[in-house]
Amino acid sequence: VEVDALTRFSNLAFGVTLALYLGAAVAFFHHLAFHRGRVLVAARVLTAAGLAAHLASVVSRGLAADRVPWGNMYEYVSVVSLLLVALFLALERRWRIDTSGGFVLGVAVAAMGAATLIYVPPGPLVPALNSYWLRIHVVMAMLGSALFTLGFVLTVLYLWQDRRERRSASAAVQARRPAMVAAGGDHAGDHLPAEESEVAGPPLPEGRLPAAATLDRLAYRTIVFAFPIWTLAVIFGAIWAEEAWGRYWGWDPKEVWSFVTWVVFAGYLHARATVGWRGRRAAVLAVIGFLALVFNLVVVNTVIAGLHSYAT
Amino acid sequence: MASSDALYRSLVAVWRTLRSMRTALILLLVVAVASVFGSLVPQAPVAPGAVADLFVEHPLLARVYRAVGLFDVYGSWWFTLTYLLLLISLTSCLLPRTRLLIRGLRHRPQPIRDLAGLRHFAEAVVSEAPGTALARSRRILRRRRFRVADAAPGLAAEKGGAREWGSLLFHWSLFLLLIGVVVGKGFGFTGQATVVEGETWTEAHASYDFPPTEGRFFTEPMHRAFQLNVLDFDAAYRSTGLPRDFVSRVRVTRSDGDPGGVREIRVNHPLSVEGVKVYQQGYGWAPVVQVRHRGRLVVSEPVVFVTGDPNDQRIPWRGVIKLPSLRPQIGLELRLFPDPVAGVQGAPMLEARNPFLAYTAWRGDLRLDAAQSVFRLDTSELEPFADGGLGLGETRELPGGVEITFEALREYTQFLVKRDPGTWIMLAAAGLIVAGLLPALYSSRRRVWVRAVPADGEGTLLQIGGFALQRPAAFEEEFVEITGELGTVGASWRSTR
Repeated sequence: VEVDALTRFSNLAFGVTLALYLGAAVAFFHHLAFHRGRVLVAARVLTAAGLAAHLASVVSRGLAADRVPWGNMYEYVSVVSLLLVALFLALERRWRIDTSGGFVLGVAVAAMGAATLIYVPPGPLVPALNSYWLRIHVVMAMLGSALFTLGFVLTVLYLWQDRRERRSASAAVQARRPAMVAAGGDHAGDHLPAEESEVAGPPLPEGRLPAAATLDRLAYRTIVFAFPIWTLAVIFGAIWAEEAWGRYWGWDPKEVWSFVTWVVFAGYLHARATVGWRGRRAAVLAVIGFLALVFNLVVVNTVIAGLHSYAT
Repeated sequence: MASSDALYRSLVAVWRTLRSMRTALILLLVVAVASVFGSLVPQAPVAPGAVADLFVEHPLLARVYRAVGLFDVYGSWWFTLTYLLLLISLTSCLLPRTRLLIRGLRHRPQPIRDLAGLRHFAEAVVSEAPGTALARSRRILRRRRFRVADAAPGLAAEKGGAREWGSLLFHWSLFLLLIGVVVGKGFGFTGQATVVEGETWTEAHASYDFPPTEGRFFTEPMHRAFQLNVLDFDAAYRSTGLPRDFVSRVRVTRSDGDPGGVREIRVNHPLSVEGVKVYQQGYGWAPVVQVRHRGRLVVSEPVVFVTGDPNDQRIPWRGVIKLPSLRPQIGLELRLFPDPVAGVQGAPMLEARNPFLAYTAWRGDLRLDAAQSVFRLDTSELEPFADGGLGLGETRELPGGVEITFEALREYTQFLVKRDPGTWIMLAAAGLIVAGLLPALYSSRRRVWVRAVPADGEGTLLQIGGFALQRPAAFEEEFVEITGELGTVGASWRSTR
């Protein structure tokens, strides 16, 4: 009876979280578009309230199952989303990325919405999962995933902003040529003619999102922090595999894709130090790395049979 | 002469190409893409069944895959070639960097002339004598853990060498990882052992279910010859029918005869004896069946039964007894229903409750001259002559004077037995990889120069300049702090950027 009550509470809190995050995402997008201080405060309050509900959902889920609340895919996605939102809330003031909140919360809402499709009632662990490595290895994997996801959002925003900046720069050059003749110089991008601003991308006021260079730097900082954590997740996974299956590496699909993720992000870190690869090309690698991460979670868990098939 | 010169030049060109970061980067991505194929196409070493299925379902595709080596990606020549190229490329990057680093150990930070041309620069007139100002600067920089060297009339300092050290440690440790794999594969072995409750198993080449995989440098005496007496096996299930735990209790006798005590082997908790690890891998039923022929005992032993699907306990377990000594030869096909009542209801048969053994008896030629599975009868030269079933303790007489008795029902346990002397190397390599990775990613190299010359009027003109190779924003703050500390004695600083 108590388990049932906890389960119902966890599910209710999950729904409340989803609603609050959705509201927060809308508020953050409003803030991005119209830059109202009060809406930003509302967005922050909604996010914090959602985080509290989320924490309650995860904790009650763990109590209902009488174990750590990351024993299957539904729980895993929930905790990764929680870490993502918590990371964003902790960093957004210091990094001044409040305008990108809608995208981060949007990713969290999408992930949690998808998680409801694979919902399973709380239950005990299969023997293979019943190990203290479940705490160490999976926590590292979840933390790494949350960081890579934040890095992905920042990278995509960087690519977007970079394109806008390039377009408006070239538009400004075109706009300035006749203007310079007439008025003797104009500041780039300040007063674009109407048809030029359409070329410059969606009608968003300049300067609302951080500059492309800033976004690039923040994405790098996130990924450079995530990389050793992901490395540890892979290493701890190998130690656990040695303990549970008698081999540290067996090219199991989960292992392959975590290796691929690691290699692609290693590529990203190297690309940033390689002439001709800096900037957009490196950013594309970060996006591919994130796609490998998602593939590893979604396709490997549900489609490809392997030792890590713990979707249910 | 000319051709050898051309060869030399092209070798140098290849070496230069391999040395570039761009090449390493591309090889890294090729390894990633190649690995992906192995997860999408069934791999013969892990899933031979799936490979065979593909040949039946899509024969053309399967033949293409086989021709390209996609059924064993990680053992294929092109995968090996790619990572070998990557390692060569890595070596060609690391060797010069390591040489430079070692040479740099003896070298001290180098002086430069024009401090004002550096990215960060500040100067002030202080009231101290040049010597005193320099001594103070040295103290301040040392406290900030800079390496400081005299560079008259000033100082040269640097910090963040851990970055290069860490990077080299990280990359060289990847080779240690490879050594660990080679040692483990070369000197280790892996085998599978099936032991029925009550029986004793000895760790020796011949006692494995099938010949164990032994490394190139592994020799017969490397088997440990310790003994495991399986006291019992227990598969515990929850009320929902999901497995809770699989435990084998074994009495260990070490190779020198010393008792090793009674130990448990369970999932996630392997047993380690004399450097060999024993893992709980599988289990099943082993009914003890006695066969008599015209009153004479032919056989009485536990028979290992297998299941078609370990995840579906609703289907009966299958076993076979072959009696080649009888004329005509007789083969018994057996099906065990551990819990027939549950089985009839379509529920999983998890525990033994009134177990029931169904049989089909065949006679004729077992065809044992050809290789065949112990779990299957080759019925091409056999004809069925009797079928029926019996409960525990019951006996049935078949036509032809054959009597079968279902004497007892035991369980067997299946172990993965393994020795891998490379794991410690792997663990050490993994530790070094992380130890190298952290400074390689987070420490930043920066250099600072200080110059103290007598000022035109009175006191000393103190100049400081510097730059950071990484994280310039953090260095900007650090530089301001340093100038603040240097200029405490009534100075006015002038900065340029």
